[in-house]
Amino acid sequence: MKTRARLPRLVACGATLALALSLTACGDGNGGASADDGKIHVLVYGDATNKVEKRIVDTFNKTSDVKVVLDTIPGADYQQKLQTIISTPQAPDIFFNWGGGSIKPFVKADLLLPLDDFIKKNPDLENKFLPSVFNNAVVDGKPYGIPMRGTQPVLLFHNKKVLQEAGVTPPKTWDELVDAVGRLKDKGVTPIALGGGDIWPTQMWFQYLFDRVAGPDLLKKALAGDKSAWESPESKKALNMIRELVDAGAFGKNYDSVKYTNGGSVALLASDKAGFELMGSWYYSQQLTDHKEFAEKDLGYSAFPTVEGGKGDPKNVAGNTNNYYSVMKKTKHPEAVAEFLKLMYSDEFVKAQLDIGNLPTTTNTDEFIDSAVSPEYSRFQYDLVADAPSFQLSWDQAYPQKASSDLHKAVQQFFNGQLDTDGFIQAMQALPTE
Amino acid sequence: MTTETTSARPAAGPRKGPGRRPPASSATKVGRPGFAWALPAAVFFALFAIVPLIMVAVLSFMSWDGISPPEFVGTDNWSRLMDDPVMLKSIWLTLLLTVLGVVLQTPLSIVLGVWAAGYQRNRAVLSVIYFIPLLLSATAVSVLWRALLDPNFGIPADATWLFGDGNLFGEQATAIGVLAFVSTWQFTPFHTLIYQGAARAVPPVLYQAAEIDGAGRYRQFFHITLPQLRNSMITSMILMIVGGLTTFETVLILTQGGPGTDTTISAYYMYDKAFKGYDFGVGSAIALALVVAATIISLIVVRVSGYDKMRSTMEGVS
Repeated sequence: MKTRARLPRLVACGATLALALSLTACGDGNGGASADDGKIHVLVYGDATNKVEKRIVDTFNKTSDVKVVLDTIPGADYQQKLQTIISTPQAPDIFFNWGGGSIKPFVKADLLLPLDDFIKKNPDLENKFLPSVFNNAVVDGKPYGIPMRGTQPVLLFHNKKVLQEAGVTPPKTWDELVDAVGRLKDKGVTPIALGGGDIWPTQMWFQYLFDRVAGPDLLKKALAGDKSAWESPESKKALNMIRELVDAGAFGKNYDSVKYTNGGSVALLASDKAGFELMGSWYYSQQLTDHKEFAEKDLGYSAFPTVEGGKGDPKNVAGNTNNYYSVMKKTKHPEAVAEFLKLMYSDEFVKAQLDIGNLPTTTNTDEFIDSAVSPEYSRFQYDLVADAPSFQLSWDQAYPQKASSDLHKAVQQFFNGQLDTDGFIQAMQALPTE
Repeated sequence: MTTETTSARPAAGPRKGPGRRPPASSATKVGRPGFAWALPAAVFFALFAIVPLIMVAVLSFMSWDGISPPEFVGTDNWSRLMDDPVMLKSIWLTLLLTVLGVVLQTPLSIVLGVWAAGYQRNRAVLSVIYFIPLLLSATAVSVLWRALLDPNFGIPADATWLFGDGNLFGEQATAIGVLAFVSTWQFTPFHTLIYQGAARAVPPVLYQAAEIDGAGRYRQFFHITLPQLRNSMITSMILMIVGGLTTFETVLILTQGGPGTDTTISAYYMYDKAFKGYDFGVGSAIALALVVAATIISLIVVRVSGYDKMRSTMEGVS
């Protein structure tokens, strides 16, 4: 009898496990930022770069009457936490974001302060930043973010030794890349290492090829709601090129079981088992950490190859443009906030970022680049980004956050053949754009 | 034969022998435990289970992205779910994984549990080793196996005769296989523990009698041990089923529901909708459906197995 009464409870308890997850959604939103204590609260993604942010805040507080408080949330939880507190009184005054789609829903909900007034009073807030980076936090024609960390363009990395043995030079054009794939395959190595298990590395191939073939306008159109962009001949051409590359065995067969985040694809390149890997600029320091000898001796890098007859400028880059500070409309201290944002192009800021290996995107970065951790590598990246007419933000960040899961699924399914061209186009057209 | 009477015994009526319930007689002195005794537990249960459950139920009829205020949308979320092929697929996948879990873990843990019930010292030592996976969090276990199964540097690279190109996470069948295997690896020790305890509770006199009657080891296992483990089996199966229906971290870390949606089980789909898609309405609807399904399935198991009658299977003791 006793047991009988206990069982449904046991079951209910088990079921509650599932709900415990839903519970966090209704969390109290006590993110450390309080409603109004006469201070400016700055909410930042918690990681190693926080020491620079702390330093800048200290500098600001030395001279300002209105003090700034830095609140951090551990990286993995940042986005969800932000989403739950942003429309509550606990919301910060200034917050870290990725620009593009990550702030679009907040702009729609009328929560953010357009920065054009700040810029009118102090044009340096726009002029001191590289335009291709600054533009990624412009929503509906108005600027909403000030770049506040380093840029991370995606580069094509290679293993010098493997390439040399196969008689391959770093490819400048797509045809050269396809040719290199064939030669590397003949040598018995995986031509291109890919951490398909994480999916976003797969997406990097899409965003670069679409930019090269169709130019940056295709995604802009699609994001503005014109979904016919995905049916365009350029879109189909880019998809065909991906299909051909995959079918040629460029990524081997088991890329979906390999991960970048657990070091799988990193080790593949470092152990001479693969020729190339397409990855963000952070890859260099990752290789230095994981495989120091290889990184110093045999790790090479180049820009993404050009595509003949493509509409996109061959100088365009793709990747994570930068992170941004956006300002909440409800802030009580707009003047002090404007003063604080000025520090994001100060010499002190640039030096501090370069010291920890980040590459800021201010116009004065150029002067200090020789003091960077690896000047040659920083110089290559800086010139690449500074010369780029357009910097394509990673698709999963250009789209609103809520689209990212379905976007990743489509990318993975097209790559492994579960979706054909039409299926992929339909999946992309079904993504929410606001 | 003793063994036959054991298994053929239809219903050992409830025992009401005198002296069976001394606690009850002493309790009459202090008064029966009333509602007040249950209050703390009840309050916590209401606060952390009932209230959220009701909130989830309400939310499943709303549209909410976490930013703007929630709006009532009637049964929109539910009808969208009904038409959603991924939802249907996720239910099948959940059931498949649950069944695989029960089918794989039950025989394994019975055999291990009965073996571990012996009092030999080497068995005690080995049992402790078998127990280790249970002490690790599901997250750690999943991260561990994802790395161990790396096609280029993990086990598949050294056993190509078994794994081929090692694309375990790239195809549905193998991805499901990995999920079932990892859950089995982690949870078998727990069920082994249940069976170990139950097997030790089997009165030795039954085996002695069987031996006199000339029953061999296998006969003893199938005709004494197994029938005696019946109630434990049901307990363990219910735990497996509820655990299977709410599996989540393993999928989140090992496959992220992929390739595509090929391992997107319902609990993961709920997370995907609510926390990645910011569609908390649909997420809540899936959560509620899961709660209802888990409750119904467990009740069915309880009814069908006759567990609620709680017959004793003991024989020869009083």
